[in-house]
This record gives sequence, structure tokens and C-alpha cells, in this order.
Amino acid sequence: MKWRRTLLPHSRWAVISVPYLWMLLFFAVPFLIVLKIAFSHQALAIPPYTPVLEFVDKAVMLKLNLSNFLELVRDAHYLEAYASSLKIAAISTFFCLLIGYPMAYTIARLPPTSRNIALMLVILPSWISFLIRIYAWMGILQTNGLLNKALLSIGIIDEPLRMMNTPLAAYIGIVYAYLPFMILPLYSNLVKLDLRLLEAAYDLGAKPWKAFVKITLPLSRSGIIAGCMLVMIPAVGEFVIPELLGGPDTLMIGRLLWSQFFSAGNWPMASAVAIVMLVLLLIPIIVFHRFQQRELEGRLA
Amino acid sequence: MASQAASPQAEPAPRNDRPGNDKRGDDNYLRIVDVRKEFDGFVAVDDVNLSIRKGEIFALLGGSGCGKSTLLRCLAGFEKPTAGKIILDGQLMNDIAPYEQAVNMMFQSYALFPHMTVEQNVAFGPTQKKMPKAEVAQRVEEMLALVQMTKFAKRKPHQLSGGQQQRVALARSVATRPKLLLLDEPMGALDKKLRSHMQLELVNIIEKLAVTCVMVTHDQEEAMTMAHRIALMDAGRIRQVGTPDEIYEQPTSRFAAEFIGLLNVIEGTIEQDHPDFVTIRSGALPDPVFIGHGISGFEGQHVAFAVRPEKVGISKQEPVQKHNKARGTIEEIAYYGSHSVYHVRLPSGFKVMSNFANRERWASDSFTWNDEVWVSWDDNAGVVLNS
Repeated sequence: MKWRRTLLPHSRWAVISVPYLWMLLFFAVPFLIVLKIAFSHQALAIPPYTPVLEFVDKAVMLKLNLSNFLELVRDAHYLEAYASSLKIAAISTFFCLLIGYPMAYTIARLPPTSRNIALMLVILPSWISFLIRIYAWMGILQTNGLLNKALLSIGIIDEPLRMMNTPLAAYIGIVYAYLPFMILPLYSNLVKLDLRLLEAAYDLGAKPWKAFVKITLPLSRSGIIAGCMLVMIPAVGEFVIPELLGGPDTLMIGRLLWSQFFSAGNWPMASAVAIVMLVLLLIPIIVFHRFQQRELEGRLA
Repeated sequence: MASQAASPQAEPAPRNDRPGNDKRGDDNYLRIVDVRKEFDGFVAVDDVNLSIRKGEIFALLGGSGCGKSTLLRCLAGFEKPTAGKIILDGQLMNDIAPYEQAVNMMFQSYALFPHMTVEQNVAFGPTQKKMPKAEVAQRVEEMLALVQMTKFAKRKPHQLSGGQQQRVALARSVATRPKLLLLDEPMGALDKKLRSHMQLELVNIIEKLAVTCVMVTHDQEEAMTMAHRIALMDAGRIRQVGTPDEIYEQPTSRFAAEFIGLLNVIEGTIEQDHPDFVTIRSGALPDPVFIGHGISGFEGQHVAFAVRPEKVGISKQEPVQKHNKARGTIEEIAYYGSHSVYHVRLPSGFKVMSNFANRERWASDSFTWNDEVWVSWDDNAGVVLNS
């Protein structure tokens, strides 16, 4: 029995340490490297930035260069890009919710056998490469693309609409690409809803719509928040969709970051842009986490 | 009990033994006429007819799958009867949506809204019925006082015990002063000790509100304790309707007799059929069963004679009576505390159950296994069942 007692704490520690080690290696260390680069100067060297820590004359020198961050505040272009990214992400999230909620609700109310098929259909498109699906949208939205041809042939429009390379195309692309991330958490929440609560509401005189607003909607709040987080957070940093579909008018921080890194070769500036974006996204994540924590405590109490 | 809880439109029900028997109420307040409910060809409720009095507590009693819950859901408006009519207070209810009916249900799981406080739960009904705000607040206060939950008004349902949740569920379902209150297995989620306490309390509150109540239960004890009248259901049909003592003492069918309580059933044929006495010959007993009154039957008819264990006496000496006695040996003893049930095997192999009240602390010691004893019953102790 003795070996057990001595072994158990160690093996437990070993199991717990795996995710921490993972986080350390693949999140904390890269983050610190990016943070370090953000506080350095651009340089014509390999790597193309100046060191932050220097060992000169038996002294360790820490030089934090704040000019990259100051540049972010000074140059209205960056602020605009942040604001525009948040706006595009927020509006896309709203439309994902608007389209995703009824879909998730309907799937959750289907008989269990067809429910799985419907969920399959939601997930199925993501088996095809993301890039290919975005290229498909280019084919649909082009001036002589599928959508315009269809609309022209039924006679709804007289001349083709210009959709490709406009913010509208970027919105369509983002909503399309992130819709499953809205539907899945909403579905898993709505499928758990006790239907007797709705019956109780009808029984007490609530019309179906009232019962939805008073019972279903508030009880699915955690699903709504989870879905919005899953859509909003990656959408803010989205690069591929605005680049391929949005055209030059669609200003997003991911594109600025890309151009700083690959075109200007300014690694420190690109790193600073990334750090600020991360901080901006951390705020809603913390709020979400707090909310979940409170809900969990409430249920356990 | 809080004094402000007395409802304005209804005086407290008269405190006689069984207020539902009181003939002041409208006998046909709720009428269920030829109601039938089918699900994909399966008949859940089969041409049920019932009339329920105003102010009565009426129980639908039966095993699982007997159709009692389906009938209750028809009354609530959640299910539409395939055929037949449900008429409440002169109004046909079949096509009225559940949210437009003055019928409220207390769910087995209570179905309290988890995101609302006790107060908000109770206020839900009155608010939906477009009652003015001040009146809603007053009604909520009144209802919470009635169920003694005023202290817990700001709590959420998950912070309450099972019994407290039930009180809130009851307060919520009567807050709109429904014409008909439906209880679905009201004690289903409570433990045994709390159950017997809440049964009486629930009846008190319902009688105080003088609301007509239909309850569904599979627990015969619960139905007998709470209800003024019971409808025994089996396979979608009503088998017998009556007061608890009628159902218990005068079952009209073998099903009814066996469903409620323990029972000795002796099968045999009518030997002598006279206007003032009947004898039944059975292979189980050495002598024919003697019944001290006439029955509807004919000589030679195959019948079952049923007698409850508490009406069967047990003794070491031979009873003085002429009929209805048999000698046997005690094979099994079930000790229940308040009484013991002795299983006495007769020479024919037939086993008779006899209750013996443990009036004295060690009374159950007087008989033991393999004792030779006599079992006996009165001429009018049992009933003859021909179905």
C-alpha cells in the first residue's frame, strides 16, 4: 500500500502538468517572444529587430522601445482599423446569431434521429478546405458570377450588382464561415431545455411568443454568449476573408498586421499590433469567464 | 396559517368529513364526455365519461400507462382529444389553447422557472393575465403567505428543498385563481416522510381556496388520503368511480379490489343462491363460504370471493361461529410494526392472509411460524366479484 501513497501524488501531478506544459510551450512562450519583439526596433539584420536585453560592460540592460505602441495611438489609421475590425466582427456576430438561433432552435426540436442528420449538415461544409469555400464564394459573388446570373435571369435586376470586393462580400464570407460556431453551442444549450417549462408557461397564460421571450431566451443566455464569443473573437483578427472577398475598402486589423509583417518587414510594429489586438479580445473573454463562473456557482449553491 | 390568505370569492369549504360530498356544488362543473385519445393507432384514453363537482378533489388512480396522465394533459389543453368533449363550467374546452384556459397544472417535476425567483415564479401567471402591477404584488404576497413561503420570496428554485419547491409550484398554479387545478403526481418527487405531511397540507390549502381539483397518481394511499372521490383507471378506461371507502370496501371488479390494498381471493362457484344468503363452494376451503346477504348471480356461476386481510381473524382456539373458518399453519409472518400479516397455509394448499394489530408491544410474539391456527371472517366481511 505504501508505494501507492507515494506514487499517487506524483502521477496526479504528472497528469495535471500536461495541459499546463502545453499552455506554457504553445501559448506563454510564443506570447513572450512576440511581446519582446513588440518592444524592439526594426533593424536590417537577421532576425530583423534589435535585442531588448543586452549584456554590456557586466550590466544587463533592458531597453523597452515604446515607439511601436505610441505609433498605434498616434496614427489614426491603426485606430480606425481596430474600430472597423470590431465593428465588422460585431455586425457579423449579430447576423450569425440572427440566422443561427432559429436554426439551432429548429434542430433542437427535431426528433432525435433527424437531429443528428441536421447537425451533420451544419458541420459537413467544414470538411472542405476553408480556402476553397471562400473561393467558391468568389465564384458566387462575382459580377458575372452565379448570384448575378440567377438574379438577372429571373429579372429581379437589370444589370449585375457589384458585390465582390465590397464590405458586403466580407460580411457574407464571415457570417458563412463562422455560422457553425454559433449554431453548435446554441444547439447544445437549447436541446437541454426542459420542455415542461414551456408547457408551464403556456399553462399560466403565456402565448408561445411570450413564453419564448420569457423562458427560452433567458435560459439560453449562456449558449448565446458562448456562440457570440466563438464567432466574435476569431472574426476580429480575420485576415483571409476580408483579403479575398472584401476588397480594398474593407479595413481590418488582420490585413494591417499582414502588410506590416510581410510587405514592410516591420516585425516590431506587427507584433505591437498583435499584442494590442490580444488585449482588446481578452476583455470580452474575461467578462464571459466571470459570467460562466457565476452561473456555475449559482447552480452549485 | 396566515389570515390574509382567505380568498375573497370563496368562503372556506365547510369542515365536514368530506367537503366534496357536500351537495352545494354544481355536480357537473367539469364534464368529460366520451373522451378518447389515440396516438398513432394506440388508444391511450378510451371513451371516458366523468362528472366532477365544484370544489371537489378528484383523483385519477391507475398504474403506469393506464391513460391517467394523458387524460390530465387533455384537461390542461396540452393534448387534444381525438373524440369527445371536455366541458368546464358550461364551456367547451376542446379547442381552447392552454394559454387561454382557466385551468392550471402543478407539474410532477414542478417545472419552476429556474432563472426566476420564487416571487417572480408566482407572479408569472397573474402578469400574463394582464393583472395590474399592484394587484399582482398583492396576489403574490397572499399566495406565498398561504403556502408559508413568504420568507423565501427572493430565493431561486434551486435554493429550495423539495417540499418548499412544491409549495411554490402550488402557489404558482393557484395564483391566477383557476377554475380547475390539475395535480400531476403531486408527491412523486418527495420522500416518504414528507409525503404524508404534504398530502394533508395540500388538501388543506386546496380546500381553503375551494378550487376544483383533478389529480393523477399511481399511489393508492395518496389517492385515498387526498381525494374526495377516486376514478380507478386501467388500459385507458375507467373501472370504478367512488369515494375512497367505496372503492376499498365495495370494489366492483377484481381489478379494483386487487389494485387497492392486500386481498385474499377465493375462486369458486355459487352453490346456494337465496335472497338472504349465498354459499360459494371452493376447492380452497373445506366448507363453503357463507355470505349473509343476497347477490346478483345464479347457482353454478363461477365467481371470486374477496376478503381483506384485516377482516380475517386469527386465533389459536376454534372460533365459535358456524361458517367461514378454516384451520391451517402459519407459513410466513410479515411484521409491519403497527400490524403483522400472517400467511396461513390451509390443507388445500391455499394461503390466507390475516392482519393482526400489534396493540401490545410484544403482541406479535403470541403466534409464530408453524403454529396451528384458525382463520375466520364475518358473514358480511367480503365481496363477491364476477368480473
